[in-house]
Amino acid sequence: MTDVKSYLREWAMPHVLCPGCAHGIVLRSFLVAVDDLQLDQNKVALVAGIGCSSRLVGYADFCTLHGTHGRAPAFATGLKLARPELSVVVVTGDGDGLAIGGNHLIHAARRNIDITVILLNNSIYGMTGGQVAPTTPPGAFASTAPGGNTEASFDACKLLIGAGASFVARVLAATPIEMTKLMADGMSHRGFSFIEVISDCPEYFGRYNKAGGGAAMLTGLTLRDEGVAVPLASKRFVNHVPSSAPPPGITTGVLHREDRPVFVGVRKAVDDES
Amino acid sequence: MNRTELIQGNEACALAAVAAGCRFFGGYPITPSTGIAEQMVRLLPDAGGVFVQMEDEIASMAAVIGASLAGSKAMTATSGPGFSLMQEHIGYAVMAEVPCVIVNVMRGGPSTGRPTAPSQGDVMQARWGTHGDHPAVVLAPSSVGEVYELTVRAFNLAERFRTPVIVLYDEIIGHTRESVVLPGSVDVVDRIKPDVEPEQFWPKAPAANGVPPMPAFGDGYRFHVTGLTHDQRGFPTEDSALTGALMTRLNNKVDDHVDEIVQVERFMLDDADVAIFAYGIVGRSAREAVQRARTMGIKAGMIRPLTLWPFPDVQVAAVAEQVDAMIVAEMNLGQLIGEVQRASGGRTEIVGHLRADGEPITPSQLLTELTDRNEAAR
Amino acid sequence: MSDNTSGLVLAGVGGQGVVMASMIVADALVRAGHDVKQSEVHGMAQRGGSVFSHIRWGPQVDSPLVPVGTASVLASFEWAEAIRWVPYVRVGGVVIADVRTIVPPGACADRRSWTTRYPEIDPSLLLDRRLKARLIDAAATATALGNVRAANSVILGSVAAFVDVEQSHWEASIERLVPRGTVDVNLAAFRAGLEVAEAPTPAPAPEHRGFSGPHQIDIRQEWCKGCDICSRVCPEYCLEVGSDASLNVSNPDACTGCRLCELLCPDFAISISAPRQTAHVGAFNEPGEIEDESD
Repeated sequence: MTDVKSYLREWAMPHVLCPGCAHGIVLRSFLVAVDDLQLDQNKVALVAGIGCSSRLVGYADFCTLHGTHGRAPAFATGLKLARPELSVVVVTGDGDGLAIGGNHLIHAARRNIDITVILLNNSIYGMTGGQVAPTTPPGAFASTAPGGNTEASFDACKLLIGAGASFVARVLAATPIEMTKLMADGMSHRGFSFIEVISDCPEYFGRYNKAGGGAAMLTGLTLRDEGVAVPLASKRFVNHVPSSAPPPGITTGVLHREDRPVFVGVRKAVDDES
Repeated sequence: MNRTELIQGNEACALAAVAAGCRFFGGYPITPSTGIAEQMVRLLPDAGGVFVQMEDEIASMAAVIGASLAGSKAMTATSGPGFSLMQEHIGYAVMAEVPCVIVNVMRGGPSTGRPTAPSQGDVMQARWGTHGDHPAVVLAPSSVGEVYELTVRAFNLAERFRTPVIVLYDEIIGHTRESVVLPGSVDVVDRIKPDVEPEQFWPKAPAANGVPPMPAFGDGYRFHVTGLTHDQRGFPTEDSALTGALMTRLNNKVDDHVDEIVQVERFMLDDADVAIFAYGIVGRSAREAVQRARTMGIKAGMIRPLTLWPFPDVQVAAVAEQVDAMIVAEMNLGQLIGEVQRASGGRTEIVGHLRADGEPITPSQLLTELTDRNEAAR
Repeated sequence: MSDNTSGLVLAGVGGQGVVMASMIVADALVRAGHDVKQSEVHGMAQRGGSVFSHIRWGPQVDSPLVPVGTASVLASFEWAEAIRWVPYVRVGGVVIADVRTIVPPGACADRRSWTTRYPEIDPSLLLDRRLKARLIDAAATATALGNVRAANSVILGSVAAFVDVEQSHWEASIERLVPRGTVDVNLAAFRAGLEVAEAPTPAPAPEHRGFSGPHQIDIRQEWCKGCDICSRVCPEYCLEVGSDASLNVSNPDACTGCRLCELLCPDFAISISAPRQTAHVGAFNEPGEIEDESD
C-alpha cells in the first residue's frame, strides 16, 4: 500500500480544520480509496464548494477546484462533460450541498452524470461559526437556533434517492475502512454516486450540544456510550459496524444502487465503450 | 470561403462562437437570449463540442467555468435576471482567471421587467455586477454582423487575458435578421499552455504580459483553483502584500492593454461641432440622425464605442475637446453618461437623451436633439 | 493619542478568551468611571487565527484604536502574538507575554523542508526593549488552579497589576461576565495573575518527541492538533495527549500495529510502520515475519 501522504500537498499541511474535526479522516479514507483503485493521479479532479468540508480538496494532490458556495456539482458537470476521462469527485458539506447547493445536487443526480459526490454531514455550519443547517436535528442548538432548532431536517440519502442518484451510501467518519470501501465502490459505479459521511463538529455542534470533543462525538456515533476507552470496546470500534448491522438510528452501507443511462451532455454520438 | 446569410443576431452569436473555437455551452432558457442556446445545441455536436441545459444561470456559469478549466472554450448566454444570477461566478472567473464568454441580450428591467422589450440597462451591471474590485471587458455590437465579429473577438480576448468577457447587446439586435457575410475562417487566439515541467509549475505565476500560462485539468499538471485570494502557487493566502499583488495584476492585465482592447467607431467626426455618443442598437439611430443632420448643414458626428469596458477615455476626451456639445443617447436612465462626463472633464457640454420605456431611440428623436442644439447655438 | 487617555492591547489566538478578557477590562474601566472604547478583531479565529482587542480609556476617548507606540500595556496570550504586537507599546510601557506557543497552520514558511517561521522563545526579544516585560505561563497557573480555561483570567490579573483600577471593580466585572459556575476559578486565577505579574517564570524550551519501537509510531508534531481521538481509540493505551495538547507515545511497547490511531487521525499526524530491521527490533522479531508485515 502506498503511503497516503504521497497524495497530499504536504507543503500545504497542516490543514485548517479544528482539532477533533473528523473531516481529515474522510480525506484520508478517500485517498486510500484512490490508491486502492489505482487511479491516475493526473486524471482525478476534486471539486468543492465553500465550507469546512470543501477546504479539504486544497490538501489533496490532484487537480482541485475550490469553487463557490453550493455550486460544486455544477462546476463538476462542466468539467466532466468537457473532459469525460477525468474521475470527478465533489466534496461538499451539509450546508453547501443541501441548502445553498441543494438544487445543483439533485439535478446532477437526476441527470445521472458520472461523478461522485461525497457529502460530509456534521449537522451544522462550521466555517461561519455554528449556525443551524438543514441537517441539524430538531431541538439541537446552534448559534442561530439558541432555543433549539425548530425546523425539520433533511435525510440526505432519501433526498438523493428520490432525485435519481444511481448509487447512494452512508457511512460514519468513525469507520474509515468501511468508508474507503464505499468510496471506492461509488467511484467505480457508472453514473451519479452519492456518499454521505456522518462527520462531527466538536468546535460548534459539540460545544453547543454538550456532545463532547472529537473522540466523544465519533465514538458516540458508533457506540452509545464512551466505552471506547475500554480496550475491548475500542477493538470493536472499526469492526462492529458492518453495513448489515448498523448502529441504531444511523443506517449505513449502500442504500440504493441501480443501473441507468449515464448523462454525457448533448454531443455527437460516439461508439459505445469498447 | 465567405458566404452571405440572412440570420438573426442570436444565430450570428452562436455561429461566431463555434468559429472562434467554443466547444462548450451551458445555459438556461431566458428571453430574449434563448435563441443562442437553441443554435448552440444544433451546432456544437457536429463541431465536436457538448451542450448542456443547466438547472439555472448560476449553474450555467459554473459549468462554463468547469468546462474552461477542462480545456474547452466555453460560453453561456442569458438576459437580465439570469445575468444577475451569474454575477458571483463572473467574479470567480475573474479571480481564478478562467477564460469564458458571457452573452447578455439585454431586456427591460429591473426584475422581470419587460422580457421582450429592448434595453441597455445592464451596462453598469456588466461593469460592476460582481462584488469586489475587478477588471471588466465588455463588448457592444450594434448589428448582426458586428455580433459575429465581436463574439469572435470576445473569445480571443478571454483566451489572451484569461478573464471573462461579456458581449452585451439588446433584444432588437438579438432578434433582428440581417444579411451577414460569414467569413470562411476567423483568426483565433488560444490560451497559452505552460512550457515548464509539472514539478516546476506554479498556476498563478504570470508570464511577461501578466497572464499565467494555463493547462487544463487532466493535462498532467496538478494544481489548485480557488476563488480565495491566493499566491502564485494558487493557494489561499491572507498576506496583504500577496493580496495586493494579485489584485493589481488582475486589473493590470486589462488596464495595461487598454489600447489594444478598446475599439471605437468615429463617424463623420473630423469637422463635427456636435457629437452623439451612442452604442449598441442606438448607434444605428445615431448614424442615421447624423447623416440627416449633415444634409441640413449641421456639422454632426458620432462616436460609438464597440468596447464599453474598459471605457474609451482617450477617444471620448478627444471628441470632447473638439465639439461644443455631446449628446449621450442610451436606452437607460443614464449609465454611461457619467463616464462620458468623467472622460470629458468639462471640455464640452454633455446632454443626455435617455429613455427606459421599452422603446428604441429613433433617428428622428436624435435628429431633433441635433437641430435643437443647432438652433440654440445660433 | 492625547495625553489624558491610556491604551491597552490584548492579543492572542482564537479560543484563548481574548474577547472575554477584553470585555472584562472594559467593564472594569467603566466601573472605575472612565470613558472607555474597545474594538476587537476576530473572524475565523477558531482555526488558529489571531485575535486582538484594543481598549482606550480616559476622561474622554474619541477612537477605540490604540496607535502604534502608545499602548501603556500589551497583554499577549501567546508568544508570537507578543512579538507581533510589541511595537504598539510605548517606551516604558508594560508587556505581559504568555510563553506558551500555538503554531498556527499558516506559520509554516516552507512546508517542504518542515521549517516554520514561528519565532523562537527568546526572552531577549522582549526583555531587551525599553519596556517592562512579564513573561508568564498562564496555562500552567490556571491548570494548577483546576481549570486551564481560566488562563485568560490569569493574564487579566497580570494586566490589573499595571492598570489603576480598584481590585473590587475587576472582580465585579469578572463575576458579571464569566460563565456561571466558573466565577470562583476565574477569581482565583485573576488573583494568581496579580501575583505572577511580580514574579515572571522563565520560558520553557520546546521539545521534539518521537519514538522507535516494536511497531514504529511516527508522530508529526507539527501537524498534530492535540485532539484526543487517537489516544481515546488506542486499545492499548499507547498514546497520551499532554496538558500542553502535544501527543506523546506513553506506552510504545504495547503497540500492536492495529493502526486505528493512524486511520482515525484527522490530521495525518500519525504513521504506524511495521518493525524495522534494527538491532533493537531484531531481538523481538524473526526476519521473515518482518518482511511479511511490511508488505
